Amino acid sequence: MAETERVKRIGLRMVRQAGAIVLLAVIIGVMVNQIRSDRLPLVADWSPEARLTLESGESMVIPIEEARELCSSQSATFLDARSSELYEHGHILCARNLPWNAVDEHFDTVMADIHQDALLIVYCDGESCPESKDLALDLFYRGYENVRVLVNGWSLWVEQHLPVEKGPCQGES
Amino acid sequence: MKTRFEREDQKEKRMKRLHENADGSLPDYSQGIHAPDHESGKSRRWYQAKVLPFVVRLILGGVFIYASVDKILHPAAFAEAVYNYKILPDALINLTTIILPWLELLLGVFLILGLWLPGAVLLSNLLLVTFFGALVFNLARGLDIHCGCFTTSQEATLDLCMCLYMIRDGIFVLLALYLFSNIFFREWQAADESPHKQRSPL
Repeated sequence: MAETERVKRIGLRMVRQAGAIVLLAVIIGVMVNQIRSDRLPLVADWSPEARLTLESGESMVIPIEEARELCSSQSATFLDARSSELYEHGHILCARNLPWNAVDEHFDTVMADIHQDALLIVYCDGESCPESKDLALDLFYRGYENVRVLVNGWSLWVEQHLPVEKGPCQGES
Repeated sequence: MKTRFEREDQKEKRMKRLHENADGSLPDYSQGIHAPDHESGKSRRWYQAKVLPFVVRLILGGVFIYASVDKILHPAAFAEAVYNYKILPDALINLTTIILPWLELLLGVFLILGLWLPGAVLLSNLLLVTFFGALVFNLARGLDIHCGCFTTSQEATLDLCMCLYMIRDGIFVLLALYLFSNIFFREWQAADESPHKQRSPL
């Protein structure tokens, strides 16, 4: 009984001190955030639409219907931001692979014949996969101004039974 | 310049003096040359009680401070890393980004200085187990994320495999668990020695 009491006392001491440290961190963190120039809002909207809105307020998100039409009319270039292995396993018809994890390595080859005015549609897999957003922003800052992101691209495309292919893009020279 | 022979001779003399008995006779070396048992036991206990926990505190404290700096300097990039874990609800991502680096910094400082050790060690364990759990969870669901543990730059760590992160974090968890048991034992002994001693409210 005395031992249980002792364990309880030590535990309480640990919890009290831990609570005080957390409280201190909260106070310092919030205060420093309030006075810094690059402060973050305490609560932010992390939905794909909000994350894919440029500073100008323009959204980079493209709806699946619009992407489907652009694919069938071949008036946009699709870029798969996933890894080469996933791309080889299956991708949107004639999408090129520009894996975000090796973008500098592949950039010159993949983008050689694409003009900076061209409409680019970037996708990866998953509602909140970061690769498409990162690649889209990277392309935007490299001077490609017509970049759009197809959120949850691969899954959505497969769900709607839209044209896909395996291996390298057959339309590529 | 001493010859090798002279140096070895001096070394032998020093060893002899070290193991000489109080009455001037030499101890029985039949069991091999070593310091008396009670001496080695004492130094081992001293090492286990003082040196080892201090070294572990320094390591963990250093890790926490190192991990916090880049996150404090680049909050937006760290927020992305937190978001990439896909564990927290959206409403908690920014709050975590704002508070967690300072919590790590405070824990590092408290661990190194030995302030509020029971609380700091408990929190360190909770944090490290949580980080480890998050890595394992994401590995299990096949999510190869950038962990954002020490740097918010994605390029610097993309090549590092998740398994390496896990091994590294696993070692930190083991160190933290050792420190927890050590602090708990120390608190237990303190309560034993002075059961009615008035302590600070914390």
